[in-house]
Amino acid sequence: MRTRILTILAYTGAALTLVVAVCVPFVLMGAFSNAVAHAGLHIDAAYSGGTVARTIDRGRYTIVVYQPVEPRLLERIEPFVQIVFEPAESLPAHVSDEIDLDGDGRPDVRVSFNVPADANAPLRGDVTALNATYISLTNVAGESFSRMVVRAGKQIVVRIPLHEGPARR
Amino acid sequence: MASRSSALARPPAFRGVGRSILLTLPMALWSLLMFTPSFQHASGDHYIGAAAVILFMTGLFFLMMRTGETYRWRRIFFVALGFLFPVGFIAALVAERGTMSIPISRMVSGDTPFCFMVTPSIILPAAFARTVIFPGSILPTASNPHSIAIMIGLWFALTLVMGKAWCSYACFFGGIEEGFAALPKRRRLHRFITRFGAQLRLIPWAILVFVVLVSAAIFEPVYCMWLCPFKAVTEFPAVRNVETAIQMVVFIALFVGLVVVLPYLTKKRTQCGFFCPFGAFQSLFNKINLFEIRINREKCVDCGLCQTSCPTVALSKDSIREGKTLLNCMKCGACVDACKKDAAVWHLKGTPVAAKPERARLLFLYGTWALATMFGGSVLANGVHTLIGFLPLK
Amino acid sequence: MLGLATGPVCLATCGPVVVPWMLVQPQGLRGHSRQLFLFLAARLAGYLVFACAVWLVGSAIPHALPQAWTGRSWLMGAVQVLLAGALVVYAAGWSHRRCVVAKTTGNLVQIGEAPVVKRSGALALGFLTGINLCPPFLVAGVRAAQLAHLSAALWFFFCFFAGTAVWFFPFLSLGFLKRTPAIVTVARMVAVLLACWYGFSGISILIERTFHG
Ligand code: SF4
Ligand code: SF4
Repeated sequence: MRTRILTILAYTGAALTLVVAVCVPFVLMGAFSNAVAHAGLHIDAAYSGGTVARTIDRGRYTIVVYQPVEPRLLERIEPFVQIVFEPAESLPAHVSDEIDLDGDGRPDVRVSFNVPADANAPLRGDVTALNATYISLTNVAGESFSRMVVRAGKQIVVRIPLHEGPARR
Repeated sequence: MASRSSALARPPAFRGVGRSILLTLPMALWSLLMFTPSFQHASGDHYIGAAAVILFMTGLFFLMMRTGETYRWRRIFFVALGFLFPVGFIAALVAERGTMSIPISRMVSGDTPFCFMVTPSIILPAAFARTVIFPGSILPTASNPHSIAIMIGLWFALTLVMGKAWCSYACFFGGIEEGFAALPKRRRLHRFITRFGAQLRLIPWAILVFVVLVSAAIFEPVYCMWLCPFKAVTEFPAVRNVETAIQMVVFIALFVGLVVVLPYLTKKRTQCGFFCPFGAFQSLFNKINLFEIRINREKCVDCGLCQTSCPTVALSKDSIREGKTLLNCMKCGACVDACKKDAAVWHLKGTPVAAKPERARLLFLYGTWALATMFGGSVLANGVHTLIGFLPLK
Repeated sequence: MLGLATGPVCLATCGPVVVPWMLVQPQGLRGHSRQLFLFLAARLAGYLVFACAVWLVGSAIPHALPQAWTGRSWLMGAVQVLLAGALVVYAAGWSHRRCVVAKTTGNLVQIGEAPVVKRSGALALGFLTGINLCPPFLVAGVRAAQLAHLSAALWFFFCFFAGTAVWFFPFLSLGFLKRTPAIVTVARMVAVLLACWYGFSGISILIERTFHG
């Protein structure tokens, strides 16, 4: 008797598996993807740059300033702050901007780079720290996740490292 | 349904042509879905690719029906998948960014296609910090259609149906080593593998634990950054300092050692069996999958042929004595086809062992092959279409 | 505070160290919940002692180092190399001797001679893991060293302990329940892998500050 019931259950299960298989391309795959998409996940700030703090309008282009990103306990990155210049096509051939990163009304860094006309041409830039919180960079491209001036599609992404430890506010 | 009447000599044709065609018909109809827009871009080359793949997949299924053998027909598909996936993938990368390497700018803009191999590494940070430690994007974008949500959804859907059979019917990478393992006539190092099989089998679990824990600790996808042998045939972080250079060396060494040389020497899938942490992770889903391979103790003569034939050492003397395969069995069918006594059988959990092995095999194959056709098939079609593009007549 | 959030992290890094260690302790098989409490209590004690020490050191040389970061990275590097060494030793079977010792202890207890020994075994182990092995703990230690008051440092560590202990409970009992040879083997392999990792990461920190990316 028990074997019978088990057998029936097994075949029901097998049939269900087949039904699931048939449903995968039509509904299931999309449903699972939606579930993941709505799980409230976000990409780690070391890659994404974190959350936007403010945008600064410069007329032809905008500068998006992000919140500083602190490494987690054992994360192997320096703390940094990301800024994004966009759209890259509207930038002048040479950009040199003094930017207020913490929103206190005073500029914190000067970022300068040349914008090559060819989007795939290598890009290098300099960052001059105007106070002790930030670390200056010279002739930097994509050195690390905390130190970069790179072109990513329609954006120029700049990441400026911050001094570690209690020296910082 | 024909049953394996003769225990000693398998009949040359397991099933008549008519019956085989009949059984193949549903699969043939299903595979026509490959022509629908969700799988194909409407272009001539794509249709040619899809048509070729439909013929290929249905043909193989027919042969499975006709001969009653699973392993060697499946292997043809799987090896083709392993070799055509990089063709399509690399060609697309080179066309789009001119190189196989991922520059850091692509990582910060979330343009790295997601690979299912990362899945175990991202689970803990996703669960506890809601953070995905992968430089991709959650939702698909124009520049990165292989987003995290899409790929995980796909993986999970396939896993529900296949369980660990993923490693024989869906993984893009296993076919490469299966191809190299198929080449030589002789197996070498056989004694070594039998002697240390029990330990070797555990390495993927150790790597899995290591990868999961360290990834969660340092918030980096450790497997991708350091251990993936398949970077060598897909994409890898651009070398920009000592660390990325070391990573590069590791990738190449692992690929050459585990995916080319060792499979060639041992005729085993050494990377899958003795290294791949994702394979270990996938083994867990064998627990919830209804299909398995069992050894019918009433027929088994303990000759060990099945154990020798298993590409991932998923059988041991003890497990054969217990009539079972081990947790890492990926349902490739090699042992079933190798057993001369028809003792190794396909089995549906819950039913008596060896009562209706062919029915269990059919039920398993319909679900699994259907999905292999859809997803493996679309990868194949993409590869074929890429190759057509390389032809001088174009 | 930090504790609960870093719990998984701590678990992640210490777990593989602690669990195999626990697994080779046959005395833990019976009445292990009491053992676990003792273990954790000793861990807490270890933490608190360490907190005091660290705070003392931290307050003694608060500005001796020009950059806090340099000190931290050197410390981290050294600790990781040491840890790598410890793990290799462990994986190579040094723990076997511990196991034997523990067994003898267990026998002693069975003859009814000295239950104290048993208890002190767990206590010592807890204390050891409390002050010894865990790198996130040491990072936390370095952070605590930057705190102004001893009480703050103590509190910091208490929270850290509470947070991590929560994570340790299911983990440890799982380890006890599934005490099979395969898991011990896997644990050993993990130890070797972790040793490689810590060795590499420690050395790279010592040689130069390489960052991810
Ligand atoms: S090949 Fe067949 S008979 Fe030989 S040990 Fe395996 S199951 Fe038994
Ligand atoms: S036990 Fe059999 S079906 Fe499973 S992986 Fe080994 S050969 Fe393939």
